[in-house]
Amino acid sequence: MKAVVCCTGESRIRPDRAELANVLKKDQNSAASACEKLLAAFPEGIRACAYGCLGGGSCEQVCRCHAIHISENGTARVDEEKCAGCGRCVKACPQHLIRLFPSEDSIRVLCSGRDPGKTARTVCGASCIGCGICEKNCPAGAIHVVDNCAQIDTSRCISCGMCAVKCPRGVIHDRDGIFTAE
Amino acid sequence: MEYTFTVNGIQRRTGENKPLLRYLRDDLHLYSAKDGCSEGACGTCTVLVNGRAVKACVLTTALAAGKNIITVEGLSLREKEAFVYAFGSRGAVQCGFCIPGMVMAGKALIDRNPDPTEEEVKTAIRGNVCRCTGYKKIIEGIMAAAAVLRGDEQITDLEEGKDYRVGSKAFRVDVRRKVLGYGKYPDDIGPEYFVGEGSARAEAIEKELRKKSGRDIRLHVWNNVPNPDDIGCNAHMVVPADMPPMAYASAVRSEYPRARVLKIDTSRAQALPGVIGVLTKKDVPVKKVGHIQQDWDVMIGEGEITHFVGDALCLITAESPYILQQARKMVKVEYEVLEPVRGIEEARAENAPKVHESGNICQSRHVVRGNAREALKNSAYTATGTFRTPFTEHAFLEPEAAVSLPYKNGVKVLSSDQGAFDSRREILHMFGWDKEPDRVVVENQLVGGGFGGKEDVSVQHLSALAAYKYGRPVKMVLTRQESINFHPKRHAMLGTFTLGCDRDGHFTGLDCEINFDTGAYASLCGPVLERACTHSVGPYNYQNTDIRGYGYYTNNPPAGAFRGFGVCQSEFALESLINELAEKTGLSPWEIRYRNAVRPGQVLPNGQIADVSTAVRECLEAVKPYFDANEGHAGVSCAMKNAGVGVGLPDAGRARLKIENGTVVIYSAASDIGQGCLTVFCQDVAEATGLTLSRILNGIANTENSPDSGTTSGSRQTLLTGEAVRGAAFLLRDAMLAEEIAERHNAESEDKISFVDVLKKSDAYLHPRRAGNRTAEYGVGVQNAPEYDSYGFVSPALQIREDGLIWDSGTGLNQGRYGLRGTQTEIFGAPVKDPEKIIEKLEGSEFYYEYFEPTDKLGASRPNPKSHIAYAYAANVAVLDGEGRVTDIYAAYDAGKVVNPLSIQGQIEGGVLMSMGYALTEDFPLKDCVPQAKFGTLGLLRAPQIPSIHAMYVEKQELLGVSYGAKGVGEITTIPAAPAIAGAYYAFDGKMRYVLPLEDTWYSKKK
Repeated sequence: MKAVVCCTGESRIRPDRAELANVLKKDQNSAASACEKLLAAFPEGIRACAYGCLGGGSCEQVCRCHAIHISENGTARVDEEKCAGCGRCVKACPQHLIRLFPSEDSIRVLCSGRDPGKTARTVCGASCIGCGICEKNCPAGAIHVVDNCAQIDTSRCISCGMCAVKCPRGVIHDRDGIFTAE
Repeated sequence: MEYTFTVNGIQRRTGENKPLLRYLRDDLHLYSAKDGCSEGACGTCTVLVNGRAVKACVLTTALAAGKNIITVEGLSLREKEAFVYAFGSRGAVQCGFCIPGMVMAGKALIDRNPDPTEEEVKTAIRGNVCRCTGYKKIIEGIMAAAAVLRGDEQITDLEEGKDYRVGSKAFRVDVRRKVLGYGKYPDDIGPEYFVGEGSARAEAIEKELRKKSGRDIRLHVWNNVPNPDDIGCNAHMVVPADMPPMAYASAVRSEYPRARVLKIDTSRAQALPGVIGVLTKKDVPVKKVGHIQQDWDVMIGEGEITHFVGDALCLITAESPYILQQARKMVKVEYEVLEPVRGIEEARAENAPKVHESGNICQSRHVVRGNAREALKNSAYTATGTFRTPFTEHAFLEPEAAVSLPYKNGVKVLSSDQGAFDSRREILHMFGWDKEPDRVVVENQLVGGGFGGKEDVSVQHLSALAAYKYGRPVKMVLTRQESINFHPKRHAMLGTFTLGCDRDGHFTGLDCEINFDTGAYASLCGPVLERACTHSVGPYNYQNTDIRGYGYYTNNPPAGAFRGFGVCQSEFALESLINELAEKTGLSPWEIRYRNAVRPGQVLPNGQIADVSTAVRECLEAVKPYFDANEGHAGVSCAMKNAGVGVGLPDAGRARLKIENGTVVIYSAASDIGQGCLTVFCQDVAEATGLTLSRILNGIANTENSPDSGTTSGSRQTLLTGEAVRGAAFLLRDAMLAEEIAERHNAESEDKISFVDVLKKSDAYLHPRRAGNRTAEYGVGVQNAPEYDSYGFVSPALQIREDGLIWDSGTGLNQGRYGLRGTQTEIFGAPVKDPEKIIEKLEGSEFYYEYFEPTDKLGASRPNPKSHIAYAYAANVAVLDGEGRVTDIYAAYDAGKVVNPLSIQGQIEGGVLMSMGYALTEDFPLKDCVPQAKFGTLGLLRAPQIPSIHAMYVEKQELLGVSYGAKGVGEITTIPAAPAIAGAYYAFDGKMRYVLPLEDTWYSKKK
């Protein structure tokens, strides 16, 4: 299994960096993780999209393989070569953005937003709008729109790439970079 | 916008954005990538893109830009040889349609991981569906290819077929062309085959289209005639120089299962440039066709009522598939939507709308023996249940396709079907040419799986109609969804069965009512229903049966032939009740079956006497250890299935052998739909003559050059056509021995004789030990019944022509009475010494043989009617794990003599997996008679889901005297696993399940 962060971080971060840093500095002794603190301070999340990555790095902290890092746009990214699929990061993410995919599955929905289409479109440039085109085209009945966001049933997915090719928002990615850019 | 990418090392450019599969096939004529669904579900179009196995139908030319694409054609010579050898030696190839995709998925894996495990191979091919093999042999094939490429295994000369006798592990004749993808299924016959003067006309049309549309429209690639070496088995296809270019046809089908068609407006489609014409019902000479009953409307006309969503309303023919698609959208149809008849209950309800004027009962049968009511009343125990089974989609990997072309004063149809002569008969009927059979020639190409679903005409007659009307070659291919909606399925059943037994568990009687939903048209409803009835009793010894069978018309898609032919349904019900009786009597499910299993000499419940080869008890004995070892989570089931059509029908096998260029060429119109009968025929010839495969070939069989050898149905080709080939090969062998004798004689004597002289004096030369005053009569044009000599020889008609000898066994006369026929050594004391040399002396000779063994009609008054030439028997044990997953299926089969151990294993594994899908995952949901399933959601099992299938065959000493004792295993493989799995669940959780797919299992919970 491989951990995948289902958020590209395209959605704009609202607070400025200093504000975020302040939150993280507070309560050094608290048991709460960085992301939990951020979420406590910003219950609506830190991005225009309430469901986006907080960038606090709680996942990074628990990863024993050094496989997950916060990238330049403040979003967690997994180096799948290093990922052992233990699932610690999945538990650490208070936004529930990280999912485990079978190593051989290359197709993933990189969005976890639950906003309805119209809102989703305005808050993020790479959001699932729940249009269902993927669901309609999936030959295996493996992808479904649940709470306004497409979700892949990995037990059925055959990684054919049809959903990635058809997705009008480019939110379904191919790890191997064949059906979509990596 | 231009997209540039590399295909097989060559840089390609295109301005069109379309599925990569279409570009590879239509523009580059790389036909190894097959079009099985164009939905991303089946994997037949798998190619390598930047080293990854990718479905070419999903990727577009735009997305392919900058990437490196490899198809099977672009593999290195070493890789090609490795895969051909690996797949052939492991028996991985059956119909072959999935194989190039499997090869590419395998290569992608091996490139990353040169020594993959079985699990890794399963994962790598999880996106590739195979319906024939059960995946096991393909997995073995990929692992073997990896071993060859690593250098751990050497390629041997297996493919040369030096030992190709009956019983040898024969490397199938069609492996190379199927693995490398150059073998031709009808869809692989592209426009480049029809490059004649007509191409100028097409170019003019192209120009006009470009002018009108302002777009760059190209109809065909004209100057890309494929390398003759790549054409493979169709190299014979000679197209006249003036053949016009190929056109494409497609039908517009009804949107509603039952609706009155008020108006079909084709005017806009007609006017579209590039549309050649639109045909409607009034253009069809004879309006209805049908395999047995002529009730199937070729098209539905204005004012008439549709029968199902597959009904054709009009047929559009256009210059290109692209224009065809546009034109389809322009046909406007007005309907008055009517309430459909959704199933059996609705069809038999009072005041139900009539699907056909004759009423909603399509067929009925009543099979009675003894007194079932009395027997059941006096039984110690009885078990009753009402069972429900679904429609099943064949899901053969190759959607229906045909190319028809004008030919002589009629048409030639290059087709993919289960019987060239059946298709010809239906097409002739549509044209009103029943009395001019030569006007239609049907030639089978490779068939990408059939399983019964290609017995009825689908595209053959429509493409022929267009080809004849417009004087053009016309290709017609069904889309996957069209195929799913259109072709006949396995019948859905609603049946109530009551089985009784005495205190010791001996069965006493069976009473049952079987109701079949046969959908919109009869298709093969009659025979399928009949087989369901006659086999509902199982392979057991009891004599009281009362079986009523009804086939109902509904507005669902038609139901017809499907591997198992009605028996899958009825034996599921019977075997389930046997488990209940086992519990009541306190016997084990194995023991109660063993007590009742029919033995040679006993009377089957249909009255036929079980012949010497009957081995159902032996099958049960073979699986007993596995049943005992897994008590509490294992189920057992038996099955029987007829081989040959039987029931009094004129069902004959026919074959003609010709000696051409020192090679025996077998001509017989018998469809190899993947089961491997072409290989069996070669083995039959090798066994009789001692020749190696290098001297034996299958001729291109069509209705013009080959004798009718019946439908690939009823598990009959290995037995019936096999016996015809064997008979002809015996005639050939006799000629070879005669030539040997002539040569010996000529070496010592002044008066020179030929093998013909020897044959004329037959016995004197052929049986020197018996020589004396007997000489068999050989004469020109002998028409009367032949004499049998003491060796059981038929005296055939011998004709001498300038170009050789024609030896004809006559017609319809050999009634299987030559049990004395034996091996060469048995009869002659020695085989042909140097067959390779001798065969060259027989150049131009022909040897013809027909095998027909009469059977009795259903309900014949004889005390022990013979319904079928032979029955195959089986016993399966299915084992569950602690969670209720099927882990192992032990499958023992009595199919008589095993002709090719490799092939029979593949048949068993594939059939068993099909049966497991029937038991657990496959369904065909309908909503108001409209199919809801796509190819990918039919519930077909994929490679990672397969259990361990242990294929066993029981070969008895006592065999039937025909076809070297082979009985045919095609259908019986799909019957017993489903009830065995149901039995395993019954043992596992004590719940009796009456519905397929089985409810409340590990597999249904996953949904």
